[in-house]
Amino acid sequence: MRAARTKSMRIITLLAAIVACAHFIPFYILLTTSLKAKGDYSSKWIFPADISFHNFSEAWERASLGNSFINTMIITGFSALLLIIFGSLAAYPLARRETKLNKAVFALLISIMIIPPLTSMVPLYRMVVDAGMVNTHAIAIFINTAAYMPLTVFLYSGFIRSTIPKELEEAARIDGAGMLKIFFTIVFPLLKPITATICIISCVFIWNDYQFAIFFLQDQKVQTLTVAMAGFFGENANNLHLVAAAALMAMLPMVVLFLALQKYFIAGLSSGAVKG
Amino acid sequence: MSEIARDVHVKQVKPKKQSSLWWMYIPALLSVLVFMIYPFVKGTLITFTNWNGFSQVYQWVGFAQYERLFSDPDTWHILKNTLLYGLGSTFFQNVVGLLYALLLNQSIKTKAVTRTIVYLPVMISPLIMGYIWYFFFSYDGGALNDLLGVFGISPINALASPSLNPWIIVMINTYQYVGIAMVVYLAGLQSIPKDYYEAAQMDGAKQGQQFFTITLPLLMPSITINMVINIIGGLKLFDVIIALTAGGPGNASQSMSTFMYDLYFKRQDAGYAATQGIFMAFVILIISFCALAYFKRKETEMS
Amino acid sequence: MKHTFVLFLSLILLVLPGCSAEKSSADTAKKTLTIYSTMSTDSERDTFRKLAATFEKEHSNIHVSLHFPGNDYENMMRVRMAANDLPDLFDTHGWGKIRYGEYTADLRDMEWTQDLDPNLNSILKNKSGKVYAYPINQAKDGLAYNRNILDRYGIAPPETMDDFIKALRTIKEKSKGSIVPFWFAGYDKSSFAQYYDQFATPLLITDPAHNEKKQLINGTFQWSKFTYLSEILKQMQKEKLINIDAVTAKKSQLIELMAQNKIAFTMQGGTLGQDVAQINPNVKVGIIPTPAIHPGDDPIWIGGERYTLAAWKDSPQLKEAKEFIAFMARPANAKQMAEATSLPSGLTNVKADIFYANDYEHYQDIKVEPYFDRLYLPNGMWDVLGTVGQELAADILAPQDISQKLGREYKRLREQSETQGAENNE
Repeated sequence: MRAARTKSMRIITLLAAIVACAHFIPFYILLTTSLKAKGDYSSKWIFPADISFHNFSEAWERASLGNSFINTMIITGFSALLLIIFGSLAAYPLARRETKLNKAVFALLISIMIIPPLTSMVPLYRMVVDAGMVNTHAIAIFINTAAYMPLTVFLYSGFIRSTIPKELEEAARIDGAGMLKIFFTIVFPLLKPITATICIISCVFIWNDYQFAIFFLQDQKVQTLTVAMAGFFGENANNLHLVAAAALMAMLPMVVLFLALQKYFIAGLSSGAVKG
Repeated sequence: MSEIARDVHVKQVKPKKQSSLWWMYIPALLSVLVFMIYPFVKGTLITFTNWNGFSQVYQWVGFAQYERLFSDPDTWHILKNTLLYGLGSTFFQNVVGLLYALLLNQSIKTKAVTRTIVYLPVMISPLIMGYIWYFFFSYDGGALNDLLGVFGISPINALASPSLNPWIIVMINTYQYVGIAMVVYLAGLQSIPKDYYEAAQMDGAKQGQQFFTITLPLLMPSITINMVINIIGGLKLFDVIIALTAGGPGNASQSMSTFMYDLYFKRQDAGYAATQGIFMAFVILIISFCALAYFKRKETEMS
Repeated sequence: MKHTFVLFLSLILLVLPGCSAEKSSADTAKKTLTIYSTMSTDSERDTFRKLAATFEKEHSNIHVSLHFPGNDYENMMRVRMAANDLPDLFDTHGWGKIRYGEYTADLRDMEWTQDLDPNLNSILKNKSGKVYAYPINQAKDGLAYNRNILDRYGIAPPETMDDFIKALRTIKEKSKGSIVPFWFAGYDKSSFAQYYDQFATPLLITDPAHNEKKQLINGTFQWSKFTYLSEILKQMQKEKLINIDAVTAKKSQLIELMAQNKIAFTMQGGTLGQDVAQINPNVKVGIIPTPAIHPGDDPIWIGGERYTLAAWKDSPQLKEAKEFIAFMARPANAKQMAEATSLPSGLTNVKADIFYANDYEHYQDIKVEPYFDRLYLPNGMWDVLGTVGQELAADILAPQDISQKLGREYKRLREQSETQGAENNE
């Protein structure tokens, strides 16, 4: 029995290794490319003879990555904050009080996920220009928050409905506490797992956003990472080595975030949202 | 005396009618109304014009663009592609995602690392992934052809065939986002109490039987979530297509969102682009609501 | 209490925009000139940046903000035009009259217009004399070729289509297929559009015996006359004279392949020669005018706008914008820009020592014709030409079908531009 188990464990480990290798390819290619000099067209599978990290410093300076990092962190951070606070707040009544109004509002919020971004693009841009808010951090934060609000509310409401026992809130209500106090002192702390989940999903998408950032954050001062990297791709510009280096650096925070939140992430999806 | 007091006390606290607590979702609703709904509604007005996208003048043409949409042969061919991307990707992502989840739910040492690696492509900016795929598939000096060369196989131009490249796009999309499906299934698997399996083991049920009688039914909620998210994402697919083929050759691999983009920015046809957009939103709405209804029904059936 | 808390939070967020706006309007004493350009290579952008810095030194009250959106330039400009929010100065890259016309300020009262190259008159001016933009350089396009390869196989630069095809066949034979005779970056539709656009001129314009100008302008052109170009391209593909991955190759590969001597000919040129020389100085790239098609006809340079500066007519900084243009038009500065971009200046009083100077001198008697699609085709046809090129190369459409499709789109786009605010062909 033991021997059979070890053998099947070995097979499974081998399979896992194959899967890991298969999915590692994109990164491997990024790594080899980022270490090559301009004009080195050797195969993407091999590392260059002399490895230098020169590309990283060059990419950092040329694209002012330091500045872009800060901008991207501000926008992603504040958007996540707003999504968590107002998304959970909105999800509460939609999960607990199923009045006709609430059902309609819920359906409206969810159906927004189907809107093609391009349809809203020009009217939105015009609106922002008229409000004088182009090239501000605030507008990027607002737009990103609005864009991921439906998904946030969807996940939060499912979690609240199926995992948080009503008894706790009802007990507090009987004690005479106000709704807001009940929500923030009792319900919200229990939402930690799903909060982490939402954090990691929306943060990744906002961090990597290109379609909105390119139009609304044109000024160099407020540029985000993806826009800064896009600057390396001219029609004839051949700066693949710099792009790869910049991409690796830009990816790091998100990888760290995922590793840190991983345990919450899976726990969050296992309760509530799954039973949606 | 105390009993009466208690009754009165309870009566006072129980609300007569459930208040909808609408004020709690005001900020969220407001943000969505201002930044998503209002521009969208204004955007749909464009479908009734022949606007080219950049001039300050245009004309109202009533339903002409909608008539055009239905008589344009490209529309149906692209709708077919979009359905392929949406439903095809969803199918493969869910099958492979489930397999990965089953594999990486076993207690092997490398499971955490492997899970992370599978999820990594989700975290790379689509802009960059586009370039990576280009490095991989390009005919001259692409990584794939280098690899084939090692085995003595002559280089192939993987993305050139108009009938084949939509399928390649489906595969790449699956490869890239299968991590999400995997994570959802992992969570679902971990929420199934181990006692169920132990009981079934004692009853003499084999592995396969256990899967179909215990695992699958209890995974239905995860399946529903994955289905809805993947269908919407797949139908709206954009970045992967642009990176690999830009919708080409011609319009062979366009999806509705890339076609819309093309019409608006390349063909100076903003009115028609917006019309295609409405059509796309409509298709996604129908399909995702059907999927949601179907899987919710299956959920209650199986539980 | 609960309501006020929520309102309070919302108010905080409304104040946020104020904070950001405050910071950016700190420099109200200085005027900021926002300039958008399509310049794509580092050498071009750096030269422009240096000149802008010099301008700032001369005008201490003006700050110049340069933007090079690269591939996203056109998209951004479209969105900004739709919102009537253009940059103070922008590049019209060939579309000064047809697309950007309604937003451009009239520059006719500026000094440099006296020295405007006559080749650009029909492109940058309209009948009433409005000048749409300042040309930083002008296109003089034909075919770019690898001199080393042609010398190696003893091939003279071709002047007719027949000679061109012969040259391609020779290269394929003698290199045993290791060198691509004629290379297309077909992932980008514009590669094929470029082929059609450039060769349409010798096919339909330059030869007096085959002149379709009138028919094109008044809409009676028979598109079956266009089939020749599709047939030739298809023939080239069948004989493997163009690259196997013509439909999927990307422009960014061009420099790398040319620098490895793997390509003989490609359309146009741009700064290809300079860029290749940077990587491999042993590879010499030259250019020739577009070969003639009809017997007895001469090759032709295809010309027009490449990089320009147009001023937004509603700009609050219009005066400063014009000052910037005047600065760029100074002969010394114009010469610098022209040399950085490997193309002749748009002014007659500027003689630039550009990369292809020898080639341009060798062919100096060759005439220049403006880009075919900008003069004779309705706005939007360029994209269609690209699409059908891809469909031809991928065997989706046959040459005759292509001509039919082009005919249909031609009609539709003509009708569309008649009802829109386009200022073409005035």
